[in-house]
Amino acid sequence: MNYNQLTRRYFESPANVGELSGPGVFRGAAGKREEGTWVQFDLQCVSGTLQAARFLAFACPHTIAVSAWLTEQSVGRTVTRTLPETVQQLRDRFDVPVDKMGRLLIIEDAWLAAAVPAIDYRG
Amino acid sequence: MNTAVQMNAAGMPVYLDHASTTPVDPRVALAMAEVLNSETEFGNPASASHDYGGVAHALVEQARCQVAAAVGAAPAEVVWTSGATEANNLSLFGVAQYYRERGRHIVTSRTEHKAVLDPCRELERRGWQVTYLVPDREGLLDPEQVAAALRQDTVLVSVMHVNNEIGVVQNIGALGAICARHGGAWLHVDAAQSLGKCPIDFASLGADLMSLSGHKVYGPKGVGALLVAQRKDGLGSARLQLAPLLYGGGQERGLRAGTLATHQVVGMGLAFELASSISSTETVRIAQLQRRLWQGLAAIGGVLRNGSVSHSVPHLLNVSFEGVEGESLLAAIRPQLAVSTGSACNSALAEPSYVLRALGRSERLSESSLRFGLGRTTTESDIDAAIAVLSREVPRLRHIAGAQSARSAPTAPTVPAT
Repeated sequence: MNYNQLTRRYFESPANVGELSGPGVFRGAAGKREEGTWVQFDLQCVSGTLQAARFLAFACPHTIAVSAWLTEQSVGRTVTRTLPETVQQLRDRFDVPVDKMGRLLIIEDAWLAAAVPAIDYRG
Repeated sequence: MNTAVQMNAAGMPVYLDHASTTPVDPRVALAMAEVLNSETEFGNPASASHDYGGVAHALVEQARCQVAAAVGAAPAEVVWTSGATEANNLSLFGVAQYYRERGRHIVTSRTEHKAVLDPCRELERRGWQVTYLVPDREGLLDPEQVAAALRQDTVLVSVMHVNNEIGVVQNIGALGAICARHGGAWLHVDAAQSLGKCPIDFASLGADLMSLSGHKVYGPKGVGALLVAQRKDGLGSARLQLAPLLYGGGQERGLRAGTLATHQVVGMGLAFELASSISSTETVRIAQLQRRLWQGLAAIGGVLRNGSVSHSVPHLLNVSFEGVEGESLLAAIRPQLAVSTGSACNSALAEPSYVLRALGRSERLSESSLRFGLGRTTTESDIDAAIAVLSREVPRLRHIAGAQSARSAPTAPTVPAT
């Protein structure tokens, strides 16, 4: 399996690995370890804006890299009902093989599971 | 990551995949080059009408004697092939086709190499029946399993000597005795991994067919041999016969048509001669390196050893890492270590090792397994480099996977108290 430079960089040195706790933290997870892919996001929001993000992933290098990149790129942005980039855009950016599209959908599920409840939070 | 990248002198990752293939011994390469560069040795070994053919023929026969001597066979029992895969195919299809009127049942095991399993699948498609025996959790077959699987119409039992993934050594002598008692079933042994790792004596093992490979023992790729026993079968009726795969020239007693590559067989002959003279000191050295590797990996924690410890060769170590995703494990170590993984990666799809699955390992543990193949070039510093890389990368990947917290974290979306 070959990985593009961006994937390798974020896989080898992923930012924001871990968990958050405290006020305004929303957690979403998707997938199953026993099925080979599991992703969890913790998003900390204040008045609809993402203040901090962390992730955990039992997953392939593409999934780890995309998850890390999302947590890094999203801080300071308004939380919405969509990913900061579409699945197709993420696929192109990280050169994810078509066979792995399902893993990007797991990332999307985990992200939205955390983000959607956070949209209206005003704590 | 990769703050202390491990590389060898050639700027390549540390090579610990000798079970896959080995570097050609310089003495072998020299002997092959001499044949290729010679003005007198380029002849067709089958050309009996002039001296060029005679010189090449003599080289081929000398190599045949070297291979035979290395494995306890008679020179006349050696049939050159393109490798162990062809030898396995010739055994399975050759016996099945020749004895199709006697019976159409074959016995093998689930942990055989694909070069045996795939021909078996093809024979099933053509109407043969195949019994796939399941080894125990250590990878060992009980000879009684084989005895119980034999039927009136069984014509072949095919069991490998040293398993290529886990290094487990099967009791071939016992299987040979069982097949001899049966009287109608020939015994084929894939011994591609055996020479230089454990003793082989074709004459005493009781095998009728044995597949050998050149490149597993520091010889060239593209050449192998099938040993075909010359003794009579248990029924006392006739010697083992095979239907050939290739026609067109009658070389190798009609079993394998095609002009022999003199330089290749010369290389394999010398490689086998050298491998058979491996000292016990070298075997002890490899065993010490394997022990050092296992102790270093075990210290990481959550590392499981695959296959029997007491019935295996020291040249192989197969382990599974708990809590680590297989593709990420390989990607993390690949820049620094050349090893085989438990998943056969095919583009984006990874198929867990069927050998480890047959031993009862879960799909996840099969995917997160690594096979370390130790060989003549392996040094203590190679072993220490492997331990260092995995001691760094396995905990890193477990940290990313939330090894501790995720065990208690829900897998369904939740909203923590705010």
